[in-house]
Amino acid sequence: MFRQSKKRASSRKNFSVTDGEDGQLILGTSSASEKKLYDSIYASKLSFYELPPQGEITLDQFEVWAIDRLKILLEIESCVSRNKNMKEIEAIIKPHLQKTMPFNMDNLEAKKKDYYSHFILRLCFCRSQELREKFVRAETLLFKLRFNMLTSQDQIKFVQSLNLPSLQFISDEEKEKLKVQLYQTVSSQLQFQLNLHDETQREAYFKREKFIKLPFEDVIELVGNRQVFLRGGYAYLPQFQQLNLLASEFASKLTQDLIVTQRNLPQLNEDDRLLPILQHLSSGYTISDFQPDQYSKEDGDITANSVYSADIAQHYPLCVKNLFRGLRENHHLRYNGRQQLSLFLKGIGLSADEAMKFWTNAFTNGGHITVDKFNKDYRYNFRHNYGLEGTRIKYKPWDCRTILSKPRPARGEYHGCPYRDYNVEKLSNDLAQMNLTKTQISAVLDSCQKTEYTIACTQVFEYTHGSASSRASEDQTHIAHPNLYFERSRLLQKQQPSS
Amino acid sequence: MDESSREKNAIKTPSASDMQYYYQHMFPFKVIFNWLNHSPKAGRDIINREFAMAFRSGAYKRYNSFSSVQEFKTAIEKANPDRFEIGAIYNKAPKERDSLLKTEMKPLEKELVFDIDMDDYDTFRTCCSGAQVCEKCWKFITLAMVVVNTTLKEDFAYEDLIWVFSGRRGAHCWVSDRRARILNDLQRRNVLDYVNVVRDRNADKRLSLKRPYHPHLVRSLELLKPHFAKIILEEQNPWQDDNRAFETLLPSLHDKNLIEALKKYWTENPGRSSRDKWNDIDLVASKDVKVNKKQDYIIRLRECKADLIIATLYPKLDIEVTKQTIHLLKSPFCVHPSTGKVCVPIDANFSPDQAPRLMDLQKEMENNGNNINKTTLQPFINIFQEHVNKIMKHDMGTAKRERAEEAKTSLEF
Ligand code: SF4
Ligand SMILES: [Zn+2]
Repeated sequence: MFRQSKKRASSRKNFSVTDGEDGQLILGTSSASEKKLYDSIYASKLSFYELPPQGEITLDQFEVWAIDRLKILLEIESCVSRNKNMKEIEAIIKPHLQKTMPFNMDNLEAKKKDYYSHFILRLCFCRSQELREKFVRAETLLFKLRFNMLTSQDQIKFVQSLNLPSLQFISDEEKEKLKVQLYQTVSSQLQFQLNLHDETQREAYFKREKFIKLPFEDVIELVGNRQVFLRGGYAYLPQFQQLNLLASEFASKLTQDLIVTQRNLPQLNEDDRLLPILQHLSSGYTISDFQPDQYSKEDGDITANSVYSADIAQHYPLCVKNLFRGLRENHHLRYNGRQQLSLFLKGIGLSADEAMKFWTNAFTNGGHITVDKFNKDYRYNFRHNYGLEGTRIKYKPWDCRTILSKPRPARGEYHGCPYRDYNVEKLSNDLAQMNLTKTQISAVLDSCQKTEYTIACTQVFEYTHGSASSRASEDQTHIAHPNLYFERSRLLQKQQPSS
Repeated sequence: MDESSREKNAIKTPSASDMQYYYQHMFPFKVIFNWLNHSPKAGRDIINREFAMAFRSGAYKRYNSFSSVQEFKTAIEKANPDRFEIGAIYNKAPKERDSLLKTEMKPLEKELVFDIDMDDYDTFRTCCSGAQVCEKCWKFITLAMVVVNTTLKEDFAYEDLIWVFSGRRGAHCWVSDRRARILNDLQRRNVLDYVNVVRDRNADKRLSLKRPYHPHLVRSLELLKPHFAKIILEEQNPWQDDNRAFETLLPSLHDKNLIEALKKYWTENPGRSSRDKWNDIDLVASKDVKVNKKQDYIIRLRECKADLIIATLYPKLDIEVTKQTIHLLKSPFCVHPSTGKVCVPIDANFSPDQAPRLMDLQKEMENNGNNINKTTLQPFINIFQEHVNKIMKHDMGTAKRERAEEAKTSLEF
């Protein structure tokens, strides 16, 4: 890779917290010593990220690596908000990991990328308690996912490398004495987490299982949902739940480190090259990776007429349905609405010619606007969006972030995002009409309440596409683009056996 | 019944001067001070402790703190609040808050607290309504105390806990073990979730708890079961009312056909008692179910009934109070502004009419030459004092152990 501007982004000044000496920095890094370092860090495949990174990276790498990791963390965050369980999250995240953050292989670049990107994001997310909690939650989940992807030998090797305070397994006598309670506690986990559906299987597993006894505070997240047996202030943790222990260790270490990083952050502000990047990363960055061209348009079945047909319209997200509703009622849309809809339609494959037909029709069929007036006042605008007029820029369909950043719709305007702009009643009504159940509706409203509009939208997508979208093979990532909503919905329908 | 009429006739709510008198002559400031301090010598736990005062006018003054018993007593006497509440121990004294940046004030510790209020039992309570209580419905609270105590002691190994009457129709539990005091919010939330089994108060859905029951639930069910027939089926008898039975009994059953059959039967035979209806469930079920599925069906039905016992009798906690370290809760020995009853420490033998009233206490004082030792309040103060002694002893033990630990580890290096 071409090193444009070399920057010791890794210098201990930025990352280290304990001393300001440059003494330990590996200067003039030979890739051999670098390789040795990262090989040793990743000897057991995973890392607790205990030492600050060393070596040099370019500004480009700095940004790209951080963004790649950030996307994964945001995707995880979205899964959590949508109440996905571990298995579902794994199915969603794994392909992403393989694509941008592969691990568990002998590749220096991949190791460095993992290590650096983690530390760069620490800088972005250490600034407030809220950001810290978010980061810790997502990183801890990522850690769990990766741990689960290791072979059991590697898992053991990793655990040994951590030097955790030695785990106290209970004696056979103690297990025998508590066997009724212990079995009551783990039986449903064996069934639902380890898929042992048969009672005798579960009993056999239980017989072999070892239990760790530790203060309940150490596995506090298993206490609330009664996943551990408690007695005398101790929790009895089955070994198959050990990962939770590691995860809570990971989380508490990271939380402490982030606080220290925050304290040391002012030093970093001197560096004016990094700051804008960090700012960009931590300020409401959302995932919208959507590339319209990623979906083929060869069918050519999107026309001025067909966009009204149920066959096509059933795939529109709520914002688009809302725009159509406004257009039909008023035979007109104000500027922002026109932009939002026309670029969306362009994105789903409505050609420039068909678009002119569509808009002329929609505006003139109410009788208020003549074709002449349309040609005079509006035609230019639509042609412009197709890059046929003026600066000839090819405008892209708006993603949800863009949509949400425009002024909110005033009376008689229809742009924006219904999950933000509708009142509770209207939204519940619309959702009920889409056949969502009461609980589903209240889950969506919850997300809206938390201002997580794209999550609400993704939930609606999942609820309305039911079993089809929960097939493990499907792409279930977060939806943050109306065109993605459309394309994915169509794709699912096409894959559906026609029966 | 007679309680409410007595309340109407005889109770005048305590006036400002009644409260003044109480703070001046009766409130056990020293006991409360030591209780919150966990040690006889004033330290951080009390000096940095937040108190809030609530006034008749509705005004609420937060961030008071006191560094000595004298200061504590003088300040309360002077402000003469209706009641005052106890909050967290901070890293700085709350009274200095104005001179600090808001972000500098950090809550560190507080007792773990639980709050149970009769309101939450109204779905199954028929003997009284609203703010009223009687001996019958107080049994809900007593049972709740037993279950929570058992859980906190056996599962979490907490020892230093005390229950305090809230002055009208509820009770507060204060856990003073050091290990409980230092819980952070996430930990509090989890302890709460562990203890709090019945989250939905409406009973219009099935509880459907996971099977097999977690040992905590197995034990709780064993504690509650013996009281179900008497309290629910006999005394409260909520399902004699057919509509109530449709709304809060039937939704707990697992089988649609059974629900329909029962609905029909009870519509044709209205007003059957709760006990009859409880038995009808089994009778109708055994008639209607095909033999080949019977075994399974009976098990499911028994599970539904177990869930129902939990739904009616399991402690119903006010979760907000427990969730956060910074949350405030009324101090023991305050006087309830509308009943005039003192918030005294209680156990499973208590019933609300045993709580001394400020009015009566004032008379007692008049008659015995202002000797508080001879009042009916004193025994409660003694109980509380004993509790405080126990806490101080435990805390001293822990402090010593910790110092010894430290000495040991520092030797190793
Ligand atoms: S979240 Fe995006 S796609 Fe969904 S309705 Fe809002 S703007 Fe449209
Ligand atoms: Zn009553």
